[in-house]
Amino acid sequence: MRKSCLALMVLGLLGPATAIAQSTDDDAARAERWHELQQAIFGDRTIGDGTGIITLDAPQRALDAALVPITITTAADRNVTGVALVIDDNPGPLAARVRFGPVGDPGFLALRVRVNQYTLMHAVAETSDGQLHETAKFVKAAGGCSAPVGENEAASLAEIGRMKLRLQGEAVAGAPVEAQLMIRHPNFNGMQMDQLTRLYTPMRFVQVVDISFDGAEVLHLEGDISLSTDPVIGFRFLPGALPGKLKVMVRDSDNATYEASFDVPASGS
Amino acid sequence: MRVKTVALAIVLALSATTAASGADPAPPEPPGIWTGPLQGAVPATITGGEVLGTEELAALVAAEGPVLVDVAPWPRKPENLASGTWSRPPHRSLPGAVWLPDVGNGDIPLAHEAWLRARLKALTGNDPGKPLVIFCHPNCWASWNAAKRAILYGYQRVYWYPDGVEGWQDSGRPTEVIQAQKRPG
Repeated sequence: MRKSCLALMVLGLLGPATAIAQSTDDDAARAERWHELQQAIFGDRTIGDGTGIITLDAPQRALDAALVPITITTAADRNVTGVALVIDDNPGPLAARVRFGPVGDPGFLALRVRVNQYTLMHAVAETSDGQLHETAKFVKAAGGCSAPVGENEAASLAEIGRMKLRLQGEAVAGAPVEAQLMIRHPNFNGMQMDQLTRLYTPMRFVQVVDISFDGAEVLHLEGDISLSTDPVIGFRFLPGALPGKLKVMVRDSDNATYEASFDVPASGS
Repeated sequence: MRVKTVALAIVLALSATTAASGADPAPPEPPGIWTGPLQGAVPATITGGEVLGTEELAALVAAEGPVLVDVAPWPRKPENLASGTWSRPPHRSLPGAVWLPDVGNGDIPLAHEAWLRARLKALTGNDPGKPLVIFCHPNCWASWNAAKRAILYGYQRVYWYPDGVEGWQDSGRPTEVIQAQKRPG
């Protein structure tokens, strides 16, 4: 909590007044941007090379900049406790931060995000020893031309807070189960114009998602405006016993909360 | 006039979802400035000006050193900023380009239009025959609109580069981080 407040304060300082040196050396400019973001989000903590610990999968060229699929995987034997996804050149760079609970599986996380311009993305893993480990990927997608609020958002607003859960295969007690959660939410980033009213739709985004299984935490996600309309979270959890209930609590930036509960049957039942 | 604009906006809004997907065929040129969604398929032509591809632009830059005007929209800071994790990202553009943000928007305040006229005048050294290249991002109407405005102001050699910054990057050419020029209001 303290850390994220600090991050927000520092990011606030990186406003338009921040002088970014003119440079034709793209790599140097990108490294400088990541350095600034690193300081803003993680403070003075050093971030080591994440090779062998964390991988980030994203399409090299995304067809739809408003819906770029991202998969983060981490090594099972490295005691990863949380991950963060940073889209360096987005106006809201910290797309999501996730902490995994006792029945969460840090090995796998899938998200869909918005990408403003050609950018580096960084995925950072935190391990139980408190160390940070990073990996990066360059993604070519450009949605920086003020995407309008479309019919998708209107439909999403009408059903705001509705959730769907899809389990991949049958759940077996003691083994990781992969699941995909879809949350109906327009996730307005405050930069989209309503073409009818000619007004900008106020920012309203999914801020917190808490997922638990039979009372034990699976994961806690803090989101931001870079998550796509109708956020989709792919994750794994470890059911101790089946059947059980997967519960989801969502809170958005307007402080509206939404809850859902899903039965997870035992295999063969 | 106002009613007409609103009616047009409604028609455009209805087609917005398909236009944003990127794979759509080029629409015909609108009769004047486009006031629909900025993001979407753009025309293949611009009456009164010339459309440039990346190689043609590179050749023009090498031969004549045209005025390069980037009109990419300025990321708008949301008013009800709750989380604060918002910062204007660095803006990459063609080396030597001047960034005049938002002058390609459909409806712009008179003050912005006056500023655009004044900036173009200064950048061309008050020479209406000076080559002027206008661009932003792919599938973005801002550059089409701004080029249209320059044509309407009487510039004789207006080049529209629809592939924009990303088209330039895709060709492997270098870009540089530039700051927006300060405009009134």
